Amino acid sequence: MSKKLRQIAIYGKGGIGKSTTTQNLTAGLVEQGKHVLVVGCDPKADSTRLLLGGLHQKTVLDTIRDNKTELQLSDLEKVGFKGVRCVESGGPEPGVGCAGRGIITSISMLEQLGAYTEDLDYVFYDVLGDVVCGGFAMPIREGKAKEIYIVASGEMMALYAANNICKGIAKYAQHGEVRLGGIICNSRNVDNELDLLRAFTKELNTQLIQYVPRNNIVQQAEIRKKTVIEFEPKSSQANVYRELAKNIDENELFTIPTPMTQDRLEQILIDYGMMEKDYQI
Amino acid sequence: MAKTNINLNMTSVENREYRLGTIIGWDGKASDLIKESAYDERSAKKHGGCAGKGSGCKLCELSSPLNQETMCSNAIVQCQVGNLTDCALIDHSPIGCSGENSKFNLSMHNGLRRRGKPLQNTLNISTNLKEKDMVFGASDKLRQTILDAKERFNPKAIFIGMACATAIIGEDIDSIAEEMEPEVGVPIIPLHCEGFRSKHWSTGFDVAFHGVLRQIVERHPTKKQNDLINIVALWGSDYFSEMLAPLGLRVNYLLDTASFEEIRQASEAVATATFCDTLGGYMATALEESFGVPQIDAPQPYGIKGTDAWLRAIAKVVGKEKEAEEYIESEHKRIAPKLAELREFFKGKNGIVMTGSAYAHGLISVLSELGIGHDAALVFHHDPVYDGGGEHQDTLKELVETYGDIPHYTVSKTRAFQLPQLLKRAKTDFLLIRHPGLASVAGHLGFPTLTMGDEHIPVGYEGILRIGEMLKGVIARTKFNQVLKRNVKLPYSDWWLAQDDPFYLTHHPEALEDLPEPRNLKLKIGTESNSTSA
Repeated sequence: MSKKLRQIAIYGKGGIGKSTTTQNLTAGLVEQGKHVLVVGCDPKADSTRLLLGGLHQKTVLDTIRDNKTELQLSDLEKVGFKGVRCVESGGPEPGVGCAGRGIITSISMLEQLGAYTEDLDYVFYDVLGDVVCGGFAMPIREGKAKEIYIVASGEMMALYAANNICKGIAKYAQHGEVRLGGIICNSRNVDNELDLLRAFTKELNTQLIQYVPRNNIVQQAEIRKKTVIEFEPKSSQANVYRELAKNIDENELFTIPTPMTQDRLEQILIDYGMMEKDYQI
Repeated sequence: MAKTNINLNMTSVENREYRLGTIIGWDGKASDLIKESAYDERSAKKHGGCAGKGSGCKLCELSSPLNQETMCSNAIVQCQVGNLTDCALIDHSPIGCSGENSKFNLSMHNGLRRRGKPLQNTLNISTNLKEKDMVFGASDKLRQTILDAKERFNPKAIFIGMACATAIIGEDIDSIAEEMEPEVGVPIIPLHCEGFRSKHWSTGFDVAFHGVLRQIVERHPTKKQNDLINIVALWGSDYFSEMLAPLGLRVNYLLDTASFEEIRQASEAVATATFCDTLGGYMATALEESFGVPQIDAPQPYGIKGTDAWLRAIAKVVGKEKEAEEYIESEHKRIAPKLAELREFFKGKNGIVMTGSAYAHGLISVLSELGIGHDAALVFHHDPVYDGGGEHQDTLKELVETYGDIPHYTVSKTRAFQLPQLLKRAKTDFLLIRHPGLASVAGHLGFPTLTMGDEHIPVGYEGILRIGEMLKGVIARTKFNQVLKRNVKLPYSDWWLAQDDPFYLTHHPEALEDLPEPRNLKLKIGTESNSTSA
């Protein structure tokens, strides 16, 4: 039986922990024997650092910049933790050119080079935090990623960004197959965070697929250029990521999100405790 | 105290719609547009006078869901600084933006021939941007192209034209121009003329003038040429010399077909005038404000009254009033018999002018002098005031006060799809157009049309006769156009052709709203028709 390739894009507010979550989640999947390709779609090209044990040295756009002819996939792809395949889109230096167009260019290039091989179970696109222009929506257009997961926390701006991203998904879902698979809560220890996220996801017509508690072990692993699963495989945090991997692998709930108005979003924040008088850090 | 309206310290121009309140959609009586435009108030503000706060009321404008046009600011820059004899223009853009270069090369040749200058090609290069350049920026490519332009053409100046693509990625053409200038040794002039910048292409004229004013026109002239007058023009024949020679003046045409030196000496001239206030207002005003060269505050030189006033205003500046009066008198006498003959010929005839804004006002004056009726006109935009804001520069008011109101005065860009309705409601025997795309549609609709490439034909006293003679030939083609109409099919549906209002889609947006997708728009407008292309 031929396997069905699942193409997944991870979105969320800048700094929310998309890359960390994606890499720990993919570490969980490769541990289960899945074949995974991670495509970093951030001009900083740091989306695969934990899987590779260091920064990817050759981005797709670097090779295009250098006019490299007869390019092969092996020039761009590096293999990391337990066989996970990693590519980085890269981008122009800050302040020049167009990073958004760079994402479009590099994804087209990967397709031309045949990066999406038949043995793959998953392709993950780790996209720059704020979807600043059409280029960063590329993975959810033209039938590329069909599953989206959004990393959020109980902080207002994270929810605001998640809601905005859902507007984009809802738009593209009208004409394509893209669906929202769920929200991943990367906890910031905000009061009533779990309740808030549950209410938020319900309103969005989706699910809270995983609650990832805050744990300093993530930072300790990061400084050592490792995922938590590699750094402390027996830790409870490693198990959380394994659970996230399992939940995504078994996920069957894919919806067209129902983004809310700013007023409604603020009402949910009020109702679920953030604005309580006795709110304390 | 004199107020400065044009800031030459900035590299970019303030768009026409912000600076002048330009609109691109209006339909009604010309006299109503004059009232709404409140020229006098706007003019007072331009001169630092008190007419209340702000820049003036915004002129009401008809919007259109179909917003095509046949030009943009980038194209205008190409046909201005791209048509200088010894300066190069780099289109910093994908190659498609240079698609009109060949057309402008033809304009250049026509212009050079009309002015008696040696024929040559335009000095244009494109940076030919590709996908990679969009992603990483194209600054190095631009630097190389500047060096190539220098090597290939050895120009006196190099212009860099911004395009939509380079504006979106924020190419820093100002810094590159500044950085490269010492190495290349000639002025390198950045022009912010990206196509989507302004709602009307005429902002492109201002961008071109702004560039030469900043970096070519002599800032500190050491001499004055008291017999030199600047005429801001396009490529038209040199009819201005014969009109101005009696006043002892030589003409310095700006910008098309000009050389670096001709532009440089603009600040040494005794005055600046133009064939069209839409085109010439920016240059004339900046030369007045920042270089001390007065602009001529007079009606445009069309028709007898306009030409009289224009010549008198220039004569006053150069102290040649007596000579002017003699010339005016002799010209009136000279043209009288021929004019009487033409008036007899055109008795009972009607015509419609469809051209750029202030220029149309001039052309309609000429039709009126010939006794041709005009109950409709189409102009491509409307400036409620010009940069000069002179007392005698309110061209539309001048027209209506001198020659009567125009009941169907329409402001709309070169939108050929409105022609069936415009022509249905107006009485006309022919059309007078400058933009060939529009002219061909009018011709297919059954109207003999004068497509006037040389925009100086109607200028001055002789211009009235020239236009009269040409129109006799045009009217003789009436039958041909009627036959043409019966034998061609335009790409408009019967539904659209049955409409009477050229702004039907503005007044009935629901005609488009109930259609879910753009392709259905085509269905709705197209299916009932013989949608064969004309």
